[in-house]
Amino acid sequence: MMAGAAARRVAGSRRAPPSPLQRAAVTGLVFGILGLYLAIVGILAMIHGRAIIVGVLTLGQATLVAIGLGTGAMIVRGDGEHGAWSWSTLLRSLFAGAIAGGVLALLVVAMDALDLRAIFIALSPALFEMLTFDLGLAGGVLVLIGGSAALAALGALLTLGPRAFRRHVLIGCIAVIFFGVFQELIQIMMQYGDIIGAVRETIYTWEGLTPEGAILIFVIATAISLLAARLRGGERSDAETPPAQRRNARIAKAAVAVLLLVLFPLLAGSYIGQVMMLVGLYILMGMGLNLEVGLAGLLDLGFVAFFAVGAYTTALLTADSPHALAAFTAIPSLSYWEAMPIAVLVSVIVGVLFGIPVLGVRGDYLAVATMGLGEIVRVIVQSDAAAPLLAGAQGILQIPKPWLGNIELSDPVDLFYLTLACAAVAAYCAWRLENSRLGRAWMAVRDDEDVAQALGINLVKVKLLAYGLGAAFAGLAGSIFAVMLTSIYPSSFQLLVSINVLALIIVGGMAACPA
Amino acid sequence: MALLEIDDIHVFYDKIEALKGVSIAVDEKQIVTLVGANGAGKTTTLRAISGILHPRAGEIRLGGESLADLPPHEIAGMGVVQVPEGRRIFARLTVDENLQMGAFSRNDRRAIAEDKERMLALFPRLKERLKQVAGTLSGGEQQMVATARALMARPRILLMDEPSMGLSPVMVEHVFETIRAINQQGVTILLVEQNALMALGIADFGYVMESGRIVLTGRGQDLLEDENVQRAYLG
Repeated sequence: MMAGAAARRVAGSRRAPPSPLQRAAVTGLVFGILGLYLAIVGILAMIHGRAIIVGVLTLGQATLVAIGLGTGAMIVRGDGEHGAWSWSTLLRSLFAGAIAGGVLALLVVAMDALDLRAIFIALSPALFEMLTFDLGLAGGVLVLIGGSAALAALGALLTLGPRAFRRHVLIGCIAVIFFGVFQELIQIMMQYGDIIGAVRETIYTWEGLTPEGAILIFVIATAISLLAARLRGGERSDAETPPAQRRNARIAKAAVAVLLLVLFPLLAGSYIGQVMMLVGLYILMGMGLNLEVGLAGLLDLGFVAFFAVGAYTTALLTADSPHALAAFTAIPSLSYWEAMPIAVLVSVIVGVLFGIPVLGVRGDYLAVATMGLGEIVRVIVQSDAAAPLLAGAQGILQIPKPWLGNIELSDPVDLFYLTLACAAVAAYCAWRLENSRLGRAWMAVRDDEDVAQALGINLVKVKLLAYGLGAAFAGLAGSIFAVMLTSIYPSSFQLLVSINVLALIIVGGMAACPA
Repeated sequence: MALLEIDDIHVFYDKIEALKGVSIAVDEKQIVTLVGANGAGKTTTLRAISGILHPRAGEIRLGGESLADLPPHEIAGMGVVQVPEGRRIFARLTVDENLQMGAFSRNDRRAIAEDKERMLALFPRLKERLKQVAGTLSGGEQQMVATARALMARPRILLMDEPSMGLSPVMVEHVFETIRAINQQGVTILLVEQNALMALGIADFGYVMESGRIVLTGRGQDLLEDENVQRAYLG
């Protein structure tokens, strides 16, 4: 019913050129209806249960505040670019805010008078309490209308205010909301370590931010934003500085990024270490697959096979289990550092063997063929026929963690550094390859096989090299994967892994190493 | 002895005989052209020379050496270089990289750099576009890239397949001028063209193909004036 009225009002305003006052009314209505919608579908009540600052602000209330502020901001925006400060703007914002609040107030009144819940299940007593702020009907309505008007005026003022100031305040608010909404995740990350734990206790309870924490985060975020703006302003002014200096700046930035990467898991604890470790493994595989898909244009959906080969080779060579080679051959059980190069080598060999049958296959067919090969590897590993050797679906257990001197790299964070180091070496190799003769040959093959061949490129050689080298990266990742879990099962090597890696490099940008 | 000798080759696509005994000889420093209608077997002949197809009978010799069972990249390494039909440059590489790819089978870095300079002198337009991705060039410029790429290999013989295809009349003129200029620098050229008028105009020697056979041979000028040729191809 109310929506109908609004539509009529909007239509009316379209017929004649709208006066500023009419526009304000429409803006207020639109925002009010937005709030109404959120309330009716139940989002408002739901997110009201989520505290941002304990005992002060919930996410639901924050939404209401945002609606109020937005109304005012829209009024100013509507005045055009050069909307200047005037009493009329302020009054109109107040008016629009009051209307927005009024719409919600109408809802409250209606909820009180009629049994709307029969139709809209979301209009619960809890929502009623939230919208009236526990003040009863009359008080609630007054607060809704008055508060909304005041907020709209504030929003208008903010929008009119100096731009820089507004941005920093906004960033501060967003930071607070971010830390509030993702509090569980962030708290889990911060559980480890004494200092961080202490910090966590000051800014968080388990329900949300404490008021002090919120202020702290707001101040810090605003300060960082200010600082960043200052820095950026400085940078802009020296845009004409010689490129050497700018390159230095870029190197410095990269160094900071690397430093953050190195320090972050140390601060963030095992959980995040584990996550970043997986990210690292995917990066490794991504770089490998990028050689195949991005540079050489060989769409390979069986990439996970190389990953599996790397993992199984490592497992068989190092594990303390009846399936390890050491258990029934003369080969001694190797340390991880001895096993890793062998795993990579075996992956390369498998990669080349993989490449041979699909040499003549192109495009989509190649994707299907490699997908098949990838599945074959998994099925073989899982089968009973290979079970005596590869342990079938039971997997291989008790793979020892690597030792570095006397230190066992058992924590995910330690292994993360191993991955990071490998990824760094691999990235360097990939980067060198990309700019090498071979890299260019790959790109030529990707763009036009026949012509590449006509220019003297040995298709067989470069394609097999692409498979082999791509497989090396995956083998390395697989090898680390094995020691990370200390046990491996065929079910870890699903087709989905290949697709994930492919998605990774597509999103990151084909043939772009930094990505 | 001719530089390139094609001696009675028969080429099959499965069971269909595409070339029914074709013989062509290209002498050093000549422009020899192969003209004919669509489907006459011109491109097939080139594919046989560059080793993508293998003739079932007959022989192809370069400077007396047989190319019969060599893979394409080795034939390319011997100096038989193609400017393929439809240009087929590496669209996602830069012009510069395309040129470098042309010199893929060479190792003399300094000479390659010199050759690149020569190419840029021959095609000044490419100089401005050296760092541009080749796929974004115009058709005529792409033809220049394709030609320059082939020349970067220092070919003993340059095979050009329909270089005028899909170009504007002005560009076609330009392409044929370039072909003549390259030839005057001492490069042997085997030119396959549908545009018989232009091709025979610059060729020392011409072969006319029709459904897998050579039906006429002669000096370029003579063929131009030949009644049969005029009726069949020039209208």
